Amino acid sequence: MVTETITAMDPSGLKAIGAGIAVGLTGLASALAERDIGSAAIGAMAENESLFGKGLILTVIPETIVIFGLVVALLIK
Amino acid sequence: MLEPKQMSRAVIVGHKSIFEETVDALHKANLFQIEDFNEDESGLRIGRPFENVDEVSKKLIKIRSIASLLGVKDVVSKKQDKKSVLSALDDTLNKLDAELDVKAEQKSKLEAELKEIDSLKKELIPFANISLDFDLYHGYEHLSVFSGYVKEDVGAAVSRITSSYEIFYDAKESTMVLFVTKDKAAEVADLLAGFAFRELRIPNISGMPSESLSRITSKESGLLKQVEAIDAEIESLKDKYAEFILASNEVLSIEAQKSETPLKVATSDSTFIIDGWVPEEDYAELERIVKAATNGRAFVSKQEMTKKDQKIVPIEYNNSKMTAPFQEIMDLYARPTYKELDPTALLFISFPLFYGMILGDIGYALILLAMAIGIKKAISSDAIKPLMNILIYCQISTLIFGVLYGEFLGFPLASLHTEHGVTEGLIKGFETVNLLASPVGDEMITFPVHRTHLVMTMIIATALVGFIHINIGYLLGFINENRKHGISAAIFEKGSWFVIEIGLILAILGYAAVLPSVTTILGVVVFLIGLVMLLKGEGIKGPIELPSLLSNSLSYTRIIAVGLSSIYIASTVNLIAFEMIWEPGTPIGGTTIFAIIVFLLGHGLNTALSIIAPGLHSLRLQYVEFFGKFYEGGGRKYDPFGYIRKYTEE
Repeated sequence: MVTETITAMDPSGLKAIGAGIAVGLTGLASALAERDIGSAAIGAMAENESLFGKGLILTVIPETIVIFGLVVALLIK
Repeated sequence: MLEPKQMSRAVIVGHKSIFEETVDALHKANLFQIEDFNEDESGLRIGRPFENVDEVSKKLIKIRSIASLLGVKDVVSKKQDKKSVLSALDDTLNKLDAELDVKAEQKSKLEAELKEIDSLKKELIPFANISLDFDLYHGYEHLSVFSGYVKEDVGAAVSRITSSYEIFYDAKESTMVLFVTKDKAAEVADLLAGFAFRELRIPNISGMPSESLSRITSKESGLLKQVEAIDAEIESLKDKYAEFILASNEVLSIEAQKSETPLKVATSDSTFIIDGWVPEEDYAELERIVKAATNGRAFVSKQEMTKKDQKIVPIEYNNSKMTAPFQEIMDLYARPTYKELDPTALLFISFPLFYGMILGDIGYALILLAMAIGIKKAISSDAIKPLMNILIYCQISTLIFGVLYGEFLGFPLASLHTEHGVTEGLIKGFETVNLLASPVGDEMITFPVHRTHLVMTMIIATALVGFIHINIGYLLGFINENRKHGISAAIFEKGSWFVIEIGLILAILGYAAVLPSVTTILGVVVFLIGLVMLLKGEGIKGPIELPSLLSNSLSYTRIIAVGLSSIYIASTVNLIAFEMIWEPGTPIGGTTIFAIIVFLLGHGLNTALSIIAPGLHSLRLQYVEFFGKFYEGGGRKYDPFGYIRKYTEE
């Protein structure tokens, strides 16, 4: 006799996975963008130290990506 | 308050006989920014430096080289009288220079000796374990001496060639000394080559190696002590002369600056013309000072500011003492231009506001407040002070929001009602008060606001705060544009955004059935009108920027997102320390201490993050979202001719 087992997925687990993917991938994306900006900013700062402020701000700009990811994760919760 | 200081272009004209007096007075007043003169067709020439310039700069170079040699740093010291510094300058400088010369010479001599000893030591070490007087290594008629590194003991191999040999081998250093008769020397050399023999130079001294080694080691330590003694003497020279060096550096720098002033000024055979800028409010003072210094023989006149001048006029902030620290943040970005609004006073409100909204924790606020006040007291540096003032403002705001959020180091102060029951807060009996149902996300707005349980509401609220902030930016942009290019440019470039926003709001409200459905159509019409205006104002660039309206507002949700991440770090630390490691109520023991360590380290880390993350994100909201709407910047810093004396006084 053939039996059929039904496996139910716990929705809260799926939500957690979704939230994890949202934060994880956007974190990676931010990191990739910030890597390039950061190294360029340090290069610029080596030439002219007064660019520190601008470099710092430019480095934070791609953080928006991961912030959006975080917000999405919070919404999923 | 929202504008930089009004500036006046002033020209000072006089006879050359009063040139020095005028420059002296201007330098003392520290009000007037001299505009460099470029030679042109007018026949005027750049002036010649005053006579004493060579001597002054020679002394200045000497002082500065001594200062860098001694490593003199800024110290807080009593101001010295300029005249007494000047009169003592030559003698003291020569004395100091001579003393330093002697010391430097002694030191370099000792260092040369040390170097010699070091190389001798290197030669000696391989022979240290071979007890053979160095005199025995040479001076033979019928014997050849091989001395050097070799792979292994070659005694057995040599004995196969000749029996008349003597070998000393030290396995530890792999050094060998081999004596053979001259006739067998060539054969032995061939043999040694097979054992990777490498010849070593024999030190040019006599005596046993080990004795010589210990002798020169003790000599070396003696020399090192002498070098240390000289270093200490140089250090004491530094302590003794630091004030003199700083004071005379200052006096000489001022003299040099004054003597070189004519290089920036237009002169003819008998007159000089100094052109430059002075804040409007100080013009009368400038006139008075110049007149007083020259008995009214120099003539000061105000010039009409031309369009071209407006591009080069130096910018001086005009802020109250309270808001002035935020000028540092402005300078980090760019100074405003002359016709532009200076948003420093707005930063004074919005920067701490966002910082406080993000951090919002009583515990961290108190820690950082104490830290900022402590650093401000301890360090008198002019660069640190404004930053600490900003930090203090931010912590006051954090404290207010901390009370509003009811958080202390990640612990909720009030009790927390969730579907799993009631969790008691840090303060026993402090009940959360339900205020009203939030329109979004089926949440209840309470006091204190539990951010972790009001996520949806907070996201909407922060986006709204952002919307307001951005619109203040557009409003400022409107004012700026009006001043620069007139009212019609302002309406089309910046005003169109308001029209678009109103259209969008009407359409959404109509669609959501808050208002009758006619408003949807009305909203779309208003939106389209706005779009056309924007196209006229900014061209194709305008509509491309349209989505930024949404993304910029959403960007403000970082206020809650970054805030939550900080709460989660803090409460995780608390969880690890107080529930996983040590359960409160259980006996106090080793685990308690471990829990305390975890607690301190975790919150230490989070405190450091609490300066960086909210600070940077609050700053970014100002620079990117807010400034993007109105601010251009690029003004030149007002840098008056003069000097702020730190170590001397007239």
